[in-house]
Amino acid sequence: MRQLLVAVFLLSACTSNPEKKLATPSTTEIVYAEVDPTISGIISGTVMFNGKTPPRKKVDMDEDPQCAKLHKQAVYNDSIAANGKGNLANVFVYVKHGLEGKNFRLPADAVTMVQKGCWFEPRIQGIQTGQKFQVINSDPVTHNVHPRPKINREWNQSQESGAVPLIRRFSKPEVMVRVKCNIHGWMKAWVGVVENPYYAVTTADGNFELKNLPPGKYTIEAWQEELGVQEQEVVVPPSGKQTLQFTFKGE
Amino acid sequence: MTPTKQFLCFGIATALLFSCGRSNQPLGTVLRIEAPLGLPAATAPTDNPPTVETVALGRKLFYDKKLSADGTVACASCHSPEAGFADPRRVSAGIGGKLGTRNSPTVLNAAYSPVQFFDGRAKTLEEQAGGPIANPVEMNLPHEACVTKLNADAEYTKLFQAAFGPGVITMTKLERAIASFERTLLSGNSAFDRYFFGGDLTAMSPAAIRGLELFNNTKKGNCAVCHRIGAQNAPFTDGKFHNIGVGFDSDGELTDLGRYAQTKDERDKGAFKTPTLRNIAQTAPYMHDGRQKTLKDVVDFYVGGGTSNPQLDAEIKELKLTGQERADLVAFMESLTGEAPPNSGPPTAGLQTSGLQK
Ligand code: HEC
Ligand code: HEC
Repeated sequence: MRQLLVAVFLLSACTSNPEKKLATPSTTEIVYAEVDPTISGIISGTVMFNGKTPPRKKVDMDEDPQCAKLHKQAVYNDSIAANGKGNLANVFVYVKHGLEGKNFRLPADAVTMVQKGCWFEPRIQGIQTGQKFQVINSDPVTHNVHPRPKINREWNQSQESGAVPLIRRFSKPEVMVRVKCNIHGWMKAWVGVVENPYYAVTTADGNFELKNLPPGKYTIEAWQEELGVQEQEVVVPPSGKQTLQFTFKGE
Repeated sequence: MTPTKQFLCFGIATALLFSCGRSNQPLGTVLRIEAPLGLPAATAPTDNPPTVETVALGRKLFYDKKLSADGTVACASCHSPEAGFADPRRVSAGIGGKLGTRNSPTVLNAAYSPVQFFDGRAKTLEEQAGGPIANPVEMNLPHEACVTKLNADAEYTKLFQAAFGPGVITMTKLERAIASFERTLLSGNSAFDRYFFGGDLTAMSPAAIRGLELFNNTKKGNCAVCHRIGAQNAPFTDGKFHNIGVGFDSDGELTDLGRYAQTKDERDKGAFKTPTLRNIAQTAPYMHDGRQKTLKDVVDFYVGGGTSNPQLDAEIKELKLTGQERADLVAFMESLTGEAPPNSGPPTAGLQTSGLQK
């Protein structure tokens, strides 16, 4: 009896290992791209606007007096956000080609869009496919989040004041997904959905930086909401630093 | 009375038949309920015609906290005359502050509703009345305990006997009395009714009149397809269930399946009974979960086209309305506040069964 017990114990100890292996079949295992920081490179640059800066357009929120009341000063719809020197902000820059077949880990943090002052903040941002997209309403009014993708699934959700944040995901790459509020026609935002973490939105000085890139040959695309897209090819050697300049032409 | 019960009565003895068939039947003076301007004629089931006695009794019961386990909650706690017979809280609190999941609707004009509750789980006012008494998060008083409590009360014994004749107090009698009182809770003759049915063209403000047009216009507000306005009267409901896109959590999942819980029909997921809009300005917050605080929020919600989901009603889509038009719709809904029905407040002490005067 005693022997039998020992045998059973041993048997179960032996079988526990192969069982564990079965539980995680290797076929579905995702291999994540590991970027070696000792040889990774950087692409940085500036986006310029060459043309007459259009006059700033004031946003009229009178349609919803509750929204208008939230602002003491005029709100401007800067669809071409160029400064006096021609540096262009709010341009979405990302790696369009060169990383195919590589899987990148998802950041745990959500990308957040806030509805504040009856305005989407930020206007332009990027997100990885599958990453959490969080939408917050911090206004005293009801908003309505309505992405108008061409590739991803379209949805429309009402979000009243004080409601819990919405958590969504975009499953497919798409540059850009336009987001609107059906209730407040002036509210617009764009989300660039990419399969890699190499994206940026140009700063007020028109600058961008894509860091920690594996060495390779890339197509970089710059997207501007009114002026369209431009691309450039660039080779990043091990530990290389490349600088690009994009120039969008106006009238 | 259910067919089985009836069968039993006939099967056992004529004496029993008499008591089964008649004892829950109201006696006394039948009360004629006049529908106010804008409302359909009042109706009542043939086995429960409202009488002066049952209505007075029902009124007392409606305001009596004795109907709850710990004597703290009455029907009126969640259907308060000060709040248009609804509840200003987002969801109602029952005994011990226990929260339900739904916002309390008005019981004004509930008599016209072909089914009761947001999911229609009760057919009649009689059937509805027993529900909250026993509901653990509402009054939490099991029906047996309820009738025992009332049978021990000399005043109720007297009132029930005056209303239903001799015999013990039963849940059926109690439900009938409450239902009869609720059948008197009719509220019409609003500014809208005086304008639309009464021909008083000054009764409504110009903004409210514009709002009425938008409400009816299928290319504008398109509200009247569900919140009906008829040629003779206006119930402001179609008595049907619709998924209008309310009640989703952060992941876009329904938090309350609504009518589906009763029918198990996929198409009923997230569908709720169209509520009347009469007295709507008094019954904030709005929707089954009370998530919308103001009438402006409601109009904005409809302008946005609700929330997309597989069961969304085909009539719910993004509306193109200017700010002025949205405000006009609100003004219209504010014109739907009717007169408080007579003898509807808490009964004064020493209630007389013979009279309804306050
Ligand atoms: C704790 C709060 C609470 C109490 C107490 C309460 N109710 Fe309600 N009542 C509600 C809520 C919430 C609903 C909606 C529930 C649903 O649709 O599922 C409701 C629904 C109703 C309806 C249906 C109205 C419609 O349009 O569908 C009627 C009628 C009603 N109650 C009458 C009563 C009566 C009579 C009593 C006392 C016996 C009572 N209620 C006690 C909260 C309460
Ligand atoms: C497809 C049918 C439908 C249409 C069209 C519709 N409603 Fe509704 N309405 C409903 C239903 C169903 C509810 C209850 C939904 C819930 O509680 O989740 C409701 C709820 C409401 C409420 C809240 C009532 C309360 O007591 O909480 C208001 C106010 C309202 N509707 C106004 C309007 C207005 C104004 C329009 C037009 C712009 C409109 N409705 C169009 C079906 C409809």
